[in-house]
Amino acid sequence: MRESTKMLLHYVTALIIIVTGLIHLLANNDPNVGKLISSNTYLYLGNMAIFLAALLYHAFNGIRVILIELVPDKCWTKLIGWAILLIGVVTYIVGFQVLLMALGLI
Amino acid sequence: MESSSVMESSMDLWKPVGTVKIRVYKYNPRKDFAPGWKEYEIEVSRGTTILDALLRIKEETDPSLAFRYSCGQALCGSCAMMVNGRQMLICRTRVLEVAKGGKIELRPLDNFPIIRDLACDFKSFFDKHRAVKPWIIRKDVEELENPTGDYKQTIEEYARYYQFTDCLKCGACYSACPTVATDHEYLGPQALSQAYRYIVDTRDDGLEERIAVVDSDHGCWRCHFATSCSDVCPKYVDPAQGIQLLKKLILRSKLGFKPHKPAEVLPSKIGEVKRG
Repeated sequence: MRESTKMLLHYVTALIIIVTGLIHLLANNDPNVGKLISSNTYLYLGNMAIFLAALLYHAFNGIRVILIELVPDKCWTKLIGWAILLIGVVTYIVGFQVLLMALGLI
Repeated sequence: MESSSVMESSMDLWKPVGTVKIRVYKYNPRKDFAPGWKEYEIEVSRGTTILDALLRIKEETDPSLAFRYSCGQALCGSCAMMVNGRQMLICRTRVLEVAKGGKIELRPLDNFPIIRDLACDFKSFFDKHRAVKPWIIRKDVEELENPTGDYKQTIEEYARYYQFTDCLKCGACYSACPTVATDHEYLGPQALSQAYRYIVDTRDDGLEERIAVVDSDHGCWRCHFATSCSDVCPKYVDPAQGIQLLKKLILRSKLGFKPHKPAEVLPSKIGEVKRG
């Protein structure tokens, strides 16, 4: 994947975090929106799943950028990329499981 | 009478007005265990540049002092160094302009390996510049080899890259860049703004070749837009803007937008002369 694609996703996920984060806040605090979203478990879960994915991508990509700038080495850059991807996927699986548990789906 | 007063005032420029202490970084990596500083006291006039002062020190006081210079008129970019902690061309900076309390501190450019004293090694800087292919790339090889005319370019098209043609390759922007300070693989503001300069040139066809270089792990996406490069450029080029425009151009090209229409060939006498 080209660096521009990774960075484009970085910017897109920033926007997704704002939108889904706002929905999450409103769902938990605004009675009208709360009724609409929280009443539908799958809608709430969908929003949270997207929010979590965007948040993790944005955060881990940020960490990757910092690390590859600190240690400019081709092997290290590749290693960091794969390690961050692996940690990100694992964190997402764990996070999603926690979400399912919190919503009483498992 | 008038001409003699003009003569006098221009002579005033070179009349000694005082002394200045110049603190110079001294280091020979081959011999010295650690870098040090040496102070020289020199008589200066209003017109004395730092380059004049260093040349006088080298002639009269310390022949071992090493620094780089060439044209002496801010055109070649050889004499950039840190003057009181800021990147400047010493050939056009007057001593009295920058002397603080009668003192000036000179050290080699940051982010460059030192050869000796104030002279830096520009190898990696020029390697990065070369990596972005700073020349016009054309696919119509036949037209290049046997030209039939000139490539048409409007003033508006020229204005898109004009400021970047002023780059002297003095290394001031590269030295001021906070990303280069930590990421030595980063292409740097000079190379990236030159990549932009050639990509938006309507005569150029090298978009894909250059994007492969600049859209990399240590390419234009590592710029955090600190704008230190634009702040110190002695030619008032804005490399930070060039890098942001380059990012925009890469994203647009991903969506299928070309940076420009290919330049038409306007028939002219060039072809006839060449063929004749």
